[in-house]
Amino acid sequence: MPPKKPSSAASPPPPDVGLLEEIGGGFLGAAATVGGMGLLGYQILRRLVTFRIDRAETLRNLYRMGVKSIPIVIVTALFTGAIMVIQAAPLVVRLGAQGLLGWGAGFGILREIAPLLTALMINGRVGANNTAELGTMVVTEQIDALRVLAIDPIAFLIAPRFVAIVTTLFLSTIFADTLALLGAAYGGLGLLGVEPKTFYNGLTSGLLGLSDVTSGLVKSIVFGVVMALSSCQYGLGVKGGAPGVGRAVNATVVASAAGIFILDYFVSFTLD
Amino acid sequence: MSAANTHDEPAPESGIDQAAEAPDASLAAVVGAQAIELVGMGLGIASVFVRTLYSCVRGRPDFGAVVRQMFEIGNRSVVFLTVVMGFIGMILVLQGGLQVKRILPEFSMVGASYLELLVRDLAATISALMLATRVGAGIAAEIGSMVVTEQVDALRMCAADPIDYLIKPRFLASLVMTICLVIWAAGVAMLTGMLTAYIMFDVNPRTFFNLNLVDTGDLVVGLAKCLAYGAAIPVVAGHSGLTTHGGSEGVGWATTRAVVNASLAVIVLDLILSALGYMLLGP
Repeated sequence: MPPKKPSSAASPPPPDVGLLEEIGGGFLGAAATVGGMGLLGYQILRRLVTFRIDRAETLRNLYRMGVKSIPIVIVTALFTGAIMVIQAAPLVVRLGAQGLLGWGAGFGILREIAPLLTALMINGRVGANNTAELGTMVVTEQIDALRVLAIDPIAFLIAPRFVAIVTTLFLSTIFADTLALLGAAYGGLGLLGVEPKTFYNGLTSGLLGLSDVTSGLVKSIVFGVVMALSSCQYGLGVKGGAPGVGRAVNATVVASAAGIFILDYFVSFTLD
Repeated sequence: MSAANTHDEPAPESGIDQAAEAPDASLAAVVGAQAIELVGMGLGIASVFVRTLYSCVRGRPDFGAVVRQMFEIGNRSVVFLTVVMGFIGMILVLQGGLQVKRILPEFSMVGASYLELLVRDLAATISALMLATRVGAGIAAEIGSMVVTEQVDALRMCAADPIDYLIKPRFLASLVMTICLVIWAAGVAMLTGMLTAYIMFDVNPRTFFNLNLVDTGDLVVGLAKCLAYGAAIPVVAGHSGLTTHGGSEGVGWATTRAVVNASLAVIVLDLILSALGYMLLGP
């Protein structure tokens, strides 16, 4: 009986945590995570510069993360394009300018919405899955086994995933840009009766330039780096069985999403 | 030489192996299998939804559980949502201002159209995408761990319906809290947008805060979206949590599936409700 009491008393957190302590703890936790991501990024970079990266694993991850995400990217991009057209519709109806539809929807799609929504969807699919997989490996002590076999876990597991996630997001964004414009053109035809030809004319009439496309693509690379680092960092830090894996996945998805939005602002701000 | 070979060979092969698990599967078989899986999942989600509605009406009322879930879903998401929507407000006004700058000389209408867009679509949709990641992943991870550790089977053995016991409180809590969170998020995004317009484009906050373009139709569409997303997220996430199998890897997969499916549900519902709103209530 006596040994049971302390264990049940130890499980709830100490009740007298003040507000300041809580805020401070939150900041320290966030700082530790960001610092850990930085260190992990440095270690990955060292492996990448010296080409110590497992080729087979990179190809396998590219297939698993990139090719298998294509259906989600297609669905998201087509729907997003149509939604953007509906949101740009008041512009067309009020100003009576059908030629502006391509510009109005295209500007938002290329610069903001396609990179952002692709990143969020890939974050849900690839980032979360990556954390779950690495977390399972940590929980079942496979990472320690790799170290025992003198295989560098960063070069063998982490760096390939990093490369695969960044590449996947970059290529998916190009793909999503195109498909979202397609969805927007046919959404405009179906809902507003604007011919796709008018839409493409508005798109290419000179109001949109290459800088709008590159701005979206630069964002996609930044998002990919954030997502890869945070999902690997949280995956490697898993503690405590199946519930621990679930918690880590939850934390990764939230951290990556917040990171994506915060960096989105700074990239938009510096690139304009 | 041989070492390099053995190291090189598995690369393409492992990819091909996974691409064609059964070598004689034709394209039609692959597409058909995907379609059957998709329809099965849709039916499963619909069944969870209907059973949740049934237990809302006929089930055992459990006010305490609903309040606990409201805290878990609502209060715990406030900080995350505030950060994200604050940045979204700044990004949208920055991009909108840059867009307007290319064709119009002045910025007086930026505020009015931004507020209309926010009320009608973006406040609800972006918040819901964020809640789909945070709340959806949380629900799936929690219920998934319960399934893996056989707690859900234990519930069934006690003749307690897992839908009534686990999904219903989350459903009701999410329905209420999504609306509250979206209204809060819209307020945050308006404030940061107003500040950005003032600092970057010198738009007077009074000029910016122009509600002329927001009409009842926009408000109805926005609130309808809140309700739809609030209902969809816990049902989709709960479905993927309840269908978890396998150990900790299964929990990871369930969480991933919950986030992806809930986000897709939000985007699809957004298109449907936006199109309906456009056709029924005008632009």
